[in-house]
Amino acid sequence: MTEVELAPAVIQALQDVTIALGAPLVSGAVATIEARLQGRRGPRVLQPYYDLIKLFQKETVVPEGSSWVFLGAPIVAFASYLIVPLLIPVLTTYGLPLGYMGDILGGGFVLALAGFVVALAATESGAPYAQLGASRAMTFGALIEPTILFVVFAVGIITSTDLPYALAASLRTGSSEIVRPAHVLAAVAFFLVVLADTGRVPVETHSGTLEFGMIDEGRVLEHSGAPFALLKWGSAMKQLILYTILIDVFLAPWGLAASQALGPVLFAIPALLVKAIAVGTIFAFIDNSFSKLRLFKITEFLAAAFALAAMAVLIFYLGGG
Amino acid sequence: MPSVAPSTFAGTANVIAVIVLLTEFAMLRAPLLRSQVRLYAFQSLVVTALAVFVAATRHIDSLYVLAALSFTLKVIIVPRVVTRLLSRANVSLAGNSSLGVATMTLIAIAISVFGFFSVGALNLRSPVLPEAALAVSVGVILVAFVLIILRSDVVSQAVGFFSLENGVSMASLVVASGLPLIIDVAFLFDLMVAVVVFGVLMRIHHARNRTLSTEPLDQLRG
Amino acid sequence: MHLLLIALVAVPLVPTVACLVAPRRSSQIITIVAAAVAFGLTVALIPYAASHGALSTSILRADAVSVVFLLPTTFLYLTAAIFSVGYLRATDDPRGRRYVRRFYVGFNVFCWSMVVAPLVNGLALLWVAIEVTTVVSALLVAIDDTDGAAEAAWKYVLLASMGLGVALLGTIVMYYAGTKAFGPSYDLSYGRLLAGAPHFSPDAVRLADVLAVLGFGTKMGLVPVHTWLPDAHSEAPTPISALLSGALLTTSFYAIVRFFQISERALGPTFPRIVLLVFGLASLALAALYVLNQRDLKRLLAYSSVEHMGILAIGMSFAAPLALVGVLLHVIAHGAAKGSAFFGAGSVVRKFATKDLRQIRGGVSILPWSGTMLVLAVLALSGLPPFGIFRSEFLIVAGGLRDPNDAVAAILVVLATVAFFGLSWFTTETMLTPVTGTVPPRGEVSVAIVIAMLVGMVALVVLGVHVPGALNHLLERGARSLEVSR
Repeated sequence: MTEVELAPAVIQALQDVTIALGAPLVSGAVATIEARLQGRRGPRVLQPYYDLIKLFQKETVVPEGSSWVFLGAPIVAFASYLIVPLLIPVLTTYGLPLGYMGDILGGGFVLALAGFVVALAATESGAPYAQLGASRAMTFGALIEPTILFVVFAVGIITSTDLPYALAASLRTGSSEIVRPAHVLAAVAFFLVVLADTGRVPVETHSGTLEFGMIDEGRVLEHSGAPFALLKWGSAMKQLILYTILIDVFLAPWGLAASQALGPVLFAIPALLVKAIAVGTIFAFIDNSFSKLRLFKITEFLAAAFALAAMAVLIFYLGGG
Repeated sequence: MPSVAPSTFAGTANVIAVIVLLTEFAMLRAPLLRSQVRLYAFQSLVVTALAVFVAATRHIDSLYVLAALSFTLKVIIVPRVVTRLLSRANVSLAGNSSLGVATMTLIAIAISVFGFFSVGALNLRSPVLPEAALAVSVGVILVAFVLIILRSDVVSQAVGFFSLENGVSMASLVVASGLPLIIDVAFLFDLMVAVVVFGVLMRIHHARNRTLSTEPLDQLRG
Repeated sequence: MHLLLIALVAVPLVPTVACLVAPRRSSQIITIVAAAVAFGLTVALIPYAASHGALSTSILRADAVSVVFLLPTTFLYLTAAIFSVGYLRATDDPRGRRYVRRFYVGFNVFCWSMVVAPLVNGLALLWVAIEVTTVVSALLVAIDDTDGAAEAAWKYVLLASMGLGVALLGTIVMYYAGTKAFGPSYDLSYGRLLAGAPHFSPDAVRLADVLAVLGFGTKMGLVPVHTWLPDAHSEAPTPISALLSGALLTTSFYAIVRFFQISERALGPTFPRIVLLVFGLASLALAALYVLNQRDLKRLLAYSSVEHMGILAIGMSFAAPLALVGVLLHVIAHGAAKGSAFFGAGSVVRKFATKDLRQIRGGVSILPWSGTMLVLAVLALSGLPPFGIFRSEFLIVAGGLRDPNDAVAAILVVLATVAFFGLSWFTTETMLTPVTGTVPPRGEVSVAIVIAMLVGMVALVVLGVHVPGALNHLLERGARSLEVSR
C-alpha cells in the first residue's frame, strides 16, 4: 500500500485549520481541568464552541462616535492570527512553502499588529475600562518586547538562522542541545512571556470579572456580537499559537510529521493538541498555586523574564553554549 | 553554520551554575526574609547537586564527602539557625532598598556581565568543568555584593555573605576540584564559625534596636 | 626547634582554657605569664630563623618573614595583657565577672589565632587562621554592648567577611594556577608553591594576586576597603583596639606578603608591585587627609594605622632590598608604637571620660606618665627620631629613592608629612595645653597601664637607636626572601 502524499499547500492549510478549530478545544479543555483542580465540575470541554456560535448569532452594538476602526480591528486581528500559523512549525518538521515568508521576528510582528489593532479599537470605543486595559497591555507589551527580542537572539545565535524550524530541528539532534544553557534559559524566558501574554496569573486573572485587574480582557469589553466572537476566537488562537511555539520550538518538538505522508500529518494534529492541553494544564496549575501580582509588581516579573533571556545570550558568548 | 553545542556534561554543568546565579537574582528581589533564607537553602542544594554531579561524572570521590558536609551545613543547619533567629525576632519583611527591583536587576545584570567578560578575558581552562561555570560563579559573587550593598537589613546582608560563599565554593568546584579534602573541610568549618558570629551579632543588633533593619546603623561613618 | 613551634602554638591555648573557669585575678596572671612565654619563644626563634632556612613541619612553618610578623603580635599580646589589668580595674563594671571572663577568653583566642596565622604552612590554612581572627575579633569589638560597638562589629564582620570571601577566591585561583605545575591535586604549602611558582600559569596568578590584595587588604585597612577600620578601632575595648591595629592589620599584611612572594616568582616583580603601589598610595593619601581632621582620639589613631598600612604597601612596591628591610622593621615598630599610643589613649579616655579631642585639655599635666608617653608615642608614629618608626620609614624612603621611579618616594614623604601635621596638632592641642575648666584630678589611672606603655616605648627606642644584631640579621634574611631570586 502506498502512502498518500499530501500537497504542501494542503498541509499549510491544515496548519491554519488545526489552530483555528483546535484553539477553542484547548481553551475548553484547560478550563475544565482548571475547574477540576479547584474542585469544581467546570464547563463542558466544548463550551467555547457553543459560546462562539451564540455570539455569532447575536446583534452587534457599536459605541456612539466610534468609526470603522472599531469594527475593522477584530477582522484584522483574526486575520493576523490566521497568518502566524503559516510561519511556525505546527505540524511538520520541515518548512512549508509559506513558512519562509517570514522569520520568527516576522511572526512576532504579526502578533504585535493584532495586539495593536485591538488596542486601537479599545481606544476608539471611548470606554474607560477598555482604554485602561489597552494602555496597560501596551505598557507591559513594551516590557515584554525586549524579552522576546532576546529570546529571538538566543534562538538566532544557537541556530545561526532566524527560522523557528531550525531550532526545533537542532533540538532533535541530541541531549546536548537540550541542556545547553542558552536554550534552557531562552525556553524558560519564553515560558514566562507566554504566561504574561496569555493573561495568566501572576500577571492577570484570566477568568476574573474585576475590571481593575484586567489587562487583555479589559480591552474587548465594549465589543459585542460577531466582532466579539472573532476577538474571543482570536485570543484562543493566540494562546494556542504561543503554546505551539513554546512546544514545537522550545520544549518538545517531537511527534511532528517529518514527511508529507498522510498518516504522520494526521497524527501530528492530535499530538499537538494533547501537548498544548498538557502545557495549558501546567499553566492552570500555576494559576492555582500563585496569587496575582500587584499591577506595579508585574514589571518585576517581566524583569525576571528579561534577566533570563539576557542571560541566555550572555552565557552563549561566554562559551557556555 | 549553527553553533556547536557543548557536550551534554558541560551543558548540564552550566545550567546548574546558571540556576545558582538565578537564585542569587531571586534573592535580590525576595521581599520576605524567610523566602530569602529558603532561596539560600535552595541555592546551597543546587551547589551540592553540582558537587555530586562532578563527583559522579569525573570520579572524584572526595567530592561526595564535601557534598554531604555542605548539604548538612548549608542546606539544613544554617537556614534553620537563621530561621529560628527570625522567629524570635518576629520580623518578616526584608529591608527595602533605595532602588526599585527592576533597577537592582539591571544593575546586577550589568555587574555580572562585567564579571563574565573579565573572567572570560583571562582565559582560564579547567580540567573538570566548563569555563563558563567559573564566569558564572564570579557573577554569583558579584551579585552577592550587590545584594549586601543594596539591601538594608542584617538578615539579607548575612544571607548575601553566605551566598557569596556559595559562589566561591562553586568556583572552587570548577577550577580546584582536586583541592585536598581537608582544606575544603577547613573552609566549611570556618564558614560555620562565621555563621555563628553573624547569628550572635544579629541577635545583639536585634536586642539593641528591636529591628533587623540596618537603618539605625548610621552613627559611624568610617 | 620543631618543639618550639608547637609550644608557641599551644601556649595561648592554656590561658584560653584556664580563663573559662579561673577567677579574675588568676586569669590576669595566667594570661600575662602565657603572653610572656609566647614572646620569649618568639625571641628564641629569632637566631635560628635569621641563620637557617625555613623550619617546617607538614602544617607549621617558620621562616624569617613569619618570625618578623610574629614579633609585634606576641609583643602586643604581652603588653596588652599587662594593660588589661589596669584597664579592667578602671572599668569597675556592673557587668562584672561575666564580662571579664568573656573578655579574657576572647582576648586569648584572638591572640592565639594571630600567633597561628604566620606559623601555618600554606595559603589555605593561612586563610582559615585569618578568618578565625575575624570572627573572634568581631565578637571582641561587640563585647562592650553599646550601640556603637554593635554597629562597628556588624560593619566589621560584614566587610571583613566579604573581603575574606574574595581572598578565598584568590586562594582557590592560586591553587588553580599551581595545577599547571603540580597536577590536579596537591597541597598549598609555601615550600612547594615558592619552588613551583615560575611554572604557574601567569594569568591565573595575576587574578589571584589582585583578589588576594583586595581581599586581605580589606582586613588590612587598605583604601577603599578600609571603612570598617576606624569604627571598629574606636568602639572596641582599648586592649583590643591596640591588638587590632598593631597585630591584626599586619597579620593580614603577612598574607598579602605571601601572595606577593609567590606572584613575584611567577610573574616577575612589576605586576605585584604595581598592585600594591596603587592601594598603598590611595591609603596613604586618604588617611593623611583624614588624620588632619579628626575629633575622636581613637579614630585619629585608627586613621594613622591606615596611613602606616599604606606606607607598608608602598614600601613593598619599591624594588630595593633596603626598602624591604624597612618594611619588615616597620611592621615591628608600628606594632610597638601603636600599642603604646592606644594604651595612652585608653588612659586618657578613662581619665577624661570622653574620646572627643575638643574636650581633652592638659593631658600631660593631669597624666604625668601615660600622658607624656602618649605624646612620645604619637611623635614616634609620625616618624620622629629616635624611635623605631623613624628608622624604618627612613629605610623605606632611602630604598624608594634608589628605585627608578623615585617620584613615589617623594609623594610618600609629602603625605607622611601631612599626617605628621595632623598628629602634632592633636598633641599640642590636647596634651600640652594648660588645664582649663573642670578637670579630673591629677594622677595615673593605673600602674599597669604605665608599665605596659613603658615596655612599648623602651622597645621603640631600642629599635630606633640600635637594632639588635640578631634582629638585624632576621630582617635582612626576610628581605632577601622577598626579593626575586631570578
